[in-house]
Amino acid sequence: MPDTVAARRIASRGLVLIALGLVALAGIYLLALGFTPVERFQGLPQKIFYVHVPAAWCALLAFSLTGIASGLYLWLRDPRLDRFAESTASVGLMFSIIMLTTGPLWGKPVWGTWWEWDARLTFTLILFFLFLGYRALRTALVDPEERARFSAVVGILGLVLVPFVHLTVYLFRTVHPQPIVLKPSEPSLPWDMLRTLLASLAVFTVLLIGFVMTRYGLGNGEDRGNRDNREKGDGNGR
Amino acid sequence: MGVDVLPVSNAGYLIAAYVVTAVILVGYAVVLWRRYKRANRE
Repeated sequence: MPDTVAARRIASRGLVLIALGLVALAGIYLLALGFTPVERFQGLPQKIFYVHVPAAWCALLAFSLTGIASGLYLWLRDPRLDRFAESTASVGLMFSIIMLTTGPLWGKPVWGTWWEWDARLTFTLILFFLFLGYRALRTALVDPEERARFSAVVGILGLVLVPFVHLTVYLFRTVHPQPIVLKPSEPSLPWDMLRTLLASLAVFTVLLIGFVMTRYGLGNGEDRGNRDNREKGDGNGR
Repeated sequence: MGVDVLPVSNAGYLIAAYVVTAVILVGYAVVLWRRYKRANRE
């Protein structure tokens, strides 16, 4: 019972963070549309940058956390790590969908095409499908221990792919722009644009934390509830 | 710095991207909120 109460508390705090994040997102839209200059060459579509990059950041961060938690699970065999890995993978998929829809919406007016089968875009899509497979695997396996063990291996494979996705713009010829903030040298953006990007990154990160906390809390509560139900069923059967 | 006067060309892509982002985030929040309410009722 105390576990369920603690899980509910984590979920409710997560929901508060999500609510705050969504209100702040409205502020980011206002900041990006009204108080950030229009890029000279790309025009208005460049402002998609302020949601596309933070969504990509959150997706890759969430998938990295999935891989780390999966590795730790295989070492420590703590079911909370498996639940955390599952939560981050699901939230990462949600941010991936934002990344994979806003990207083509930016690409069409700037590159003249919705999609280009170049290294960055293709490997990002492969990463998305890998974690879609992770979700499918979890749904297919019934035994919790087996499910946690098998999905942890897939989670670690995803972690291996994350830095590769980031480095594709250096390793291959690609139409995708090179990093302008996450790079060894100073960010190559005017302050007005950098300020909006950093604010958006902060808001998206708050949303990521809120979503993961809520999913983790609800997942734990459901595990406990299912176990309680099974135990009740066994008791009635005796 | 005041509000810029923005050119309207290609504004549809920007609006679509911002709407899609908001719909996905709010939609996911609503799904989790409903699951939370349901879990609390049980």
